[in-house]
Amino acid sequence: MSTYIDVASETATTSKAIRPTGFGEIIPALLFVGIFFIVPVVALLLRSVLEPVVGFGNYAELLGSATYLKIFANTFIVSGLVTAISLLIGFPVAWTLAIMPSRLASLIFAVLLLSMWTNLLARTYAWMVLLQRTGLINKMLMGMGLIDQPLPLVNNLTGVTIGMTYIMLPFIILPLYGVIKKIDPTVLQAAALCGANRWQCLTRVLLPLAARGMVAGALMVFVMSLGYYVTPSLLGGTANMMLAELIAQFVQSLVNWGMGGAAALVLLVVTLSLYAVQLRLFGVQNTGGR
Amino acid sequence: MLLNFDRLGWWKYVLVAVTIVTAAFLLLPILFIAALSFGSSQWLIFPPPGWTLQWYSQLFADPQWLASAWTSFRIASIVTVLSVLLGLVTSFGLVRGTFMFRDALKALFLTPMILPVVVLAVALYAFFLRMGLGGTLIGFVISHLVLALPFSILSISNALEGFDKSIEDAAVLCGASPLEAKIRVTLPAISHGLFSAAVFSFLTSWDEVVVAIFMASPTLQTLPVKVWATLRQDLTPVIAAASSLLILLTITLMALVAIARKVLKS
Repeated sequence: MSTYIDVASETATTSKAIRPTGFGEIIPALLFVGIFFIVPVVALLLRSVLEPVVGFGNYAELLGSATYLKIFANTFIVSGLVTAISLLIGFPVAWTLAIMPSRLASLIFAVLLLSMWTNLLARTYAWMVLLQRTGLINKMLMGMGLIDQPLPLVNNLTGVTIGMTYIMLPFIILPLYGVIKKIDPTVLQAAALCGANRWQCLTRVLLPLAARGMVAGALMVFVMSLGYYVTPSLLGGTANMMLAELIAQFVQSLVNWGMGGAAALVLLVVTLSLYAVQLRLFGVQNTGGR
Repeated sequence: MLLNFDRLGWWKYVLVAVTIVTAAFLLLPILFIAALSFGSSQWLIFPPPGWTLQWYSQLFADPQWLASAWTSFRIASIVTVLSVLLGLVTSFGLVRGTFMFRDALKALFLTPMILPVVVLAVALYAFFLRMGLGGTLIGFVISHLVLALPFSILSISNALEGFDKSIEDAAVLCGASPLEAKIRVTLPAISHGLFSAAVFSFLTSWDEVVVAIFMASPTLQTLPVKVWATLRQDLTPVIAAASSLLILLTITLMALVAIARKVLKS
């Protein structure tokens, strides 16, 4: 179809170019997205340099105060930890899924999809109950005699890390599965024939072949973690705020739109630049930061 | 050899064990909520001393919970219809169009998926405050549609890309009008895409929390906002009951998608 048009347009060089088609059909959606997505987001970001006074005062305050820097540090540390743990657990799982007998694998896929689509609040609630001082986890640890006192597992960054890792695991397993599934098994056979033992096959063939996917998956999880709001604010304490919660607080409790806009821009710039890196490495991925 | 399950040796057992433990880690909290919702202990002791339906009866006796569930359902239904219609028309333009910047525009339509939701929530909150739409049904529908539309465009575009347009052209050659050919030939052929667009739009709206927190008013809130507000006070098992219902709906819809994929594609 398209080659036909190309040939036609090349032969008829003197006639006018083909009229573009199909633009009319996207106009309604374009208007909708323009008015209710681009305009509000741009307006919010503009307020960061316009309110309360014109200039970059909000950014100076945001990046110059120890309180806010600690929130940035919290956000990056938790997101980094969540990414590292997800990758560490996710890689063997994705690897197993890629080679497992398909019946067992499809059962585990069903679990992955179920947990991905189960209401975020419901899952976070489960962890709030499980991790509290009298919760099941502490009781089990005490019952096994591993600890005498209940561990503070919730209202701190430990709780946030556990809850976030739980939410992010499917998001790293699925892309890794895709990458490992695409690796040609004969390459590994060749390595074995050439005398590589199992460990060498893993570290010098399989891992390097999967590395691109691992980086892309890790970036995606990292980016999503940076912007999460619900889970960190429920499982973290007020002393361990993360960036998304800071933005919400500037706007809701402090009614400081300038600072809210500035923090939103910082989050947006980090998110979009890391996403651009990921896009170059891996192509379009289906994400959803909540 | 590392990609052959039977030739992994003892590594096989380690890998399978890690996988099963991880699957259990993902599944157990969901089952745990369901168990808590039937547990008789107000203090969420597990295993519970007895079983009861009292949290469900509390849930259904409270007009606030019912009102918020009804609000959620209404919003999600309207969002689903709008999202599929708008997604369908837009997908035709994006898949078959020949205009400039087509790929860039498609990327633009998908951006709400990758943007941190809190940024969108705060931006829409400010915007709707000025337009007087905060706390209204229209405000909810618009903001959820921003999030649902990318899913719709993605599902329908994928289905449309897999459909051979020459079949539609053949219908036109046989005397159908272009619109008739689209409705009677193309739409049935891409119905699995329309169906997943509808389900994912519904679930996106039904489960959405962050934007809804900013959009809600004391008189109009969705079910997740009600759960959120209650959670901030205490961990009552009523939330376990509400969460179980939310999960039950998700499972039902996902099963429907799986069945529809099999039925509609064959």
